Amino acid sequence: MERKKFLRSLMIGAFSAPIIIDACSKVEGTTDTATTSGTPGTGASGSASGCNLAPTETEGPFPTKVPASYVRPDITNGRTGYALSIKITIGNSNSNCAAISGAIVDIWHCDAEGNYSEYGGSGMQSTDYQSLHFLRGRQTTDANGLVTFTSIFPGWYSGRATHIHVHVYNASGTSLKVTQIAFPEVTGSAVLAVNGYAKGMTGYTYNAKDNVFSDDTAGIEVATVTGSTTAGFALTMNISVPA
Amino acid sequence: MATRIINLCYRKIIDANAAGIWEQLVFNDTYTEFLMQAQYYNQEKKYTSLAQLVLHVPDAERLHFLVSAACIEYLQQLNERIPDIYNILGNKFLNFKSFHFEIINSDITQRSAHQVAINFYSEPLIWHDSIGSYLLVSQKDAKQPELTDLVKLVPFLSINSLKIIP
Repeated sequence: MERKKFLRSLMIGAFSAPIIIDACSKVEGTTDTATTSGTPGTGASGSASGCNLAPTETEGPFPTKVPASYVRPDITNGRTGYALSIKITIGNSNSNCAAISGAIVDIWHCDAEGNYSEYGGSGMQSTDYQSLHFLRGRQTTDANGLVTFTSIFPGWYSGRATHIHVHVYNASGTSLKVTQIAFPEVTGSAVLAVNGYAKGMTGYTYNAKDNVFSDDTAGIEVATVTGSTTAGFALTMNISVPA
Repeated sequence: MATRIINLCYRKIIDANAAGIWEQLVFNDTYTEFLMQAQYYNQEKKYTSLAQLVLHVPDAERLHFLVSAACIEYLQQLNERIPDIYNILGNKFLNFKSFHFEIINSDITQRSAHQVAINFYSEPLIWHDSIGSYLLVSQKDAKQPELTDLVKLVPFLSINSLKIIP
């Protein structure tokens, strides 16, 4: 190579260096992508790896639409306690309490020890899916406005009288009422018969002192509860909501 | 030689752009459940986003747990097999029994803002070696001869725990 030509080639090299560097970085980028894309990917929508090697696998499983795990009549999930059947009738307070059919009713309450189902401190959850949301349920009212659940008699925890939470939605899921059901405390009542399970009743908050029920002097929030610890208990309640 | 027991975590993010049928079902049903459950914490209708609810309403953090009920039946449809993660042969091979569901973002006025993550935790694996960028692993309770898998750590797949048995 002549010296002049050699120098010229160096000049070209110098001028084109940024282009080469740029090209290199592009190549690197491409290599990265290729590396990632060669990996059967995460498939997460919005994942970092856009291009995935198509896995060759038998088709399936075939997903089908399923309701939330709340939808079940028996919400016991292996929690032990005295059997309690819960019958709630939903009426329309804007229409002489006429039964509302197709309303969605969520209920939840604590177990015999006074604990609710919820995430614990650990980030990991057991696969025992059915017991993850214990004592929580959802049913849709029938033509008579009635929903029925099978559960256990709730225990109690500090500061609260025995209660069941209720959230009533219309058929499209719009909230109509958030309320709670209180339990009778008269002599012979279920609350006294259950006697707080292993806890006893020392420190129990009765309805009159309960921060939710104390203003309910007419007893509108108090359900009818019959039965015994041997035969189980039956709760019936009418709840009127503006629909 | 010490035995290294690991478990992998795959964080599957599902948002409005989810393409798969399973993902769309999870997206739609968890959003519907969020709309329902959020009303309990938003009875004065002051807030729209999950972030606002969590910031201003006591116990609104429970929405993660409460909404998770909408995806549980879908998890069962996976038959304890972690989705999307394949060994070098192109087979799904990671089993899970544990998971954690979280809502990343959501807004009662904006469906497209809804974004959830399902963290799948694999059953324990023995990490024998690394070959190139692949981990050579086998099921912890495998019988001899140990059948192995080669898997690469891709984005959203990580080693969640490590236990070294001397």
